[in-house]
Amino acid sequence: MGGFAGARAPVIAGLGITELGNVYGRTSADFAADAVRRAVADAGLALGDVDGLLTNTGLAADLTLGLARDMGLRDLRLLSEVQAFGSSAGAMVQYASMAVASGMADVVACVFADAPLREPGAGSAGAYAGTGRRLTQGWRALDVAAGLLGANPLYALAARRHMLAYGTTSEQLGAIAVAQRAWAAGNPRARFREPITLADHQASRMIADPYRLLDCCLVSNGGVAVLVTSADRAADLAQPPVHVLGGAQAHPGYPASSDSTFGLVSGASQAGPAALKAAGVTLGDIDVVELYDCYTFTVLLTLEDYGFCAKGEGGPFAATPGVLGPDGSLKLNTGGGQLSSYYMWGMTPLSEAVIQVRGQGGERQCERHELALVSGNGGILDHHSTLVLGASPRERSITGSGS
Amino acid sequence: MTPLQASPVTAEFFAGTARGELLVRRCADCGRHLAPRCVSCEVCGGTDLAWTAASGAGRVVSWTVLPDRAGGPPVVAGIVELAEGPWLNVRFVDVVPEAMTGGLAVEVRFVRPEGGEAVPVFAPAEQTLG
Ligand SMILES: [Zn+2]
Repeated sequence: MGGFAGARAPVIAGLGITELGNVYGRTSADFAADAVRRAVADAGLALGDVDGLLTNTGLAADLTLGLARDMGLRDLRLLSEVQAFGSSAGAMVQYASMAVASGMADVVACVFADAPLREPGAGSAGAYAGTGRRLTQGWRALDVAAGLLGANPLYALAARRHMLAYGTTSEQLGAIAVAQRAWAAGNPRARFREPITLADHQASRMIADPYRLLDCCLVSNGGVAVLVTSADRAADLAQPPVHVLGGAQAHPGYPASSDSTFGLVSGASQAGPAALKAAGVTLGDIDVVELYDCYTFTVLLTLEDYGFCAKGEGGPFAATPGVLGPDGSLKLNTGGGQLSSYYMWGMTPLSEAVIQVRGQGGERQCERHELALVSGNGGILDHHSTLVLGASPRERSITGSGS
Repeated sequence: MTPLQASPVTAEFFAGTARGELLVRRCADCGRHLAPRCVSCEVCGGTDLAWTAASGAGRVVSWTVLPDRAGGPPVVAGIVELAEGPWLNVRFVDVVPEAMTGGLAVEVRFVRPEGGEAVPVFAPAEQTLG
């Protein structure tokens, strides 16, 4: 998806981020409405200008199409729920971009919201921790019996396989956690801003070996929305336009057999190159990289699959001094990501990319921010989306073949 | 271990575990062995999938160790590749986490949690000739 040019080339013109984290007493739909209103205001538009809405609910699963009615949106030309888990944010921007480019809609709001956290005392991450228990029938029951409840142990199996194949270590995963925490120090929205060391990572309690606590994302309540409109429309709006230059998805459909590349290669290996090609740019052109980070390992695997290092070299690459972190050569997860800042599925890397491309990152702003590469990942490495965003339209992408 | 109830899609599989058999699917068109949950062949797309008993031998593909919050022994669980090819997500028993390795030879056993179906678990294979 790409090769857009001219008046109807898609642009992210608005970003709305609600209060995030331990915010109680609001449903996902409440957060979503708040996020859309904020995105509309951010763009300098009115709610009545929105003529398309795509929603993506988190695991609290209380955000639906009904949001349009609840917000009083009238005569929409595009309305749908999207669900590909952590890859949904990128996917929504892709669908919205194609709708805008084709003239199907002019201003499409894409919103994610979730409210899994309960009031204090009710236990943290209730909706996430309980997902296995609700599904004890059918084949999922065998995973429950095995003890493979929820995402932590299943992603641990992916990391272990990579370790067995390539010698990846816990310390190398820790380097990613340490670097992202250093970035989080510069993000006022970050939940955790105190620096950590590799020793802190190694001392954090084991969650699902090889994952320690500091390998795992946090959980947040809140909502994030972006508005996609045309370059023509965006030219007069309030924010610097963020051009959607290219995008792609990949859903590998791992077989349950020795042919499976689970843990070794993800859909990023297909979606990344496809998105770059669609945008008419190369990896070397990218200034800012925002990768989905449900776990440290997800970042490591995506770095390999996107081609920042050779397959199997993600561990040594991440642990090489001078590569990651605010002073490093690779500007990666500059807001602290889901490991340190906020867990809004694919909206976490997407929102930070929009902030960086606009140049609004404050003390964490990257000096070079012309082009950003954004990933989304969902399921157990089952779903991947990639976006290439730019501060300028890339006229030379006109001749590139959109895919 | 959480007791499991059979449902229509798993009834045949659990009828097998009750007899001490680990059933997998086998494609009538190309002969490929498939995981129990498969409804079409990963190779040829065939939908004529028969149940067949696997040998019960396999090797460890990956594993995780889950600490018990109550202080009991940790759960060791992961992926086994059966000798016939399919992968299963399983609990490992009679193992110590430190002794787990990729490719470790394991074999099926069946446990029956109170009030539930018999469930396949995997233990290190007995030393045998050949
Ligand atoms: Zn077949």
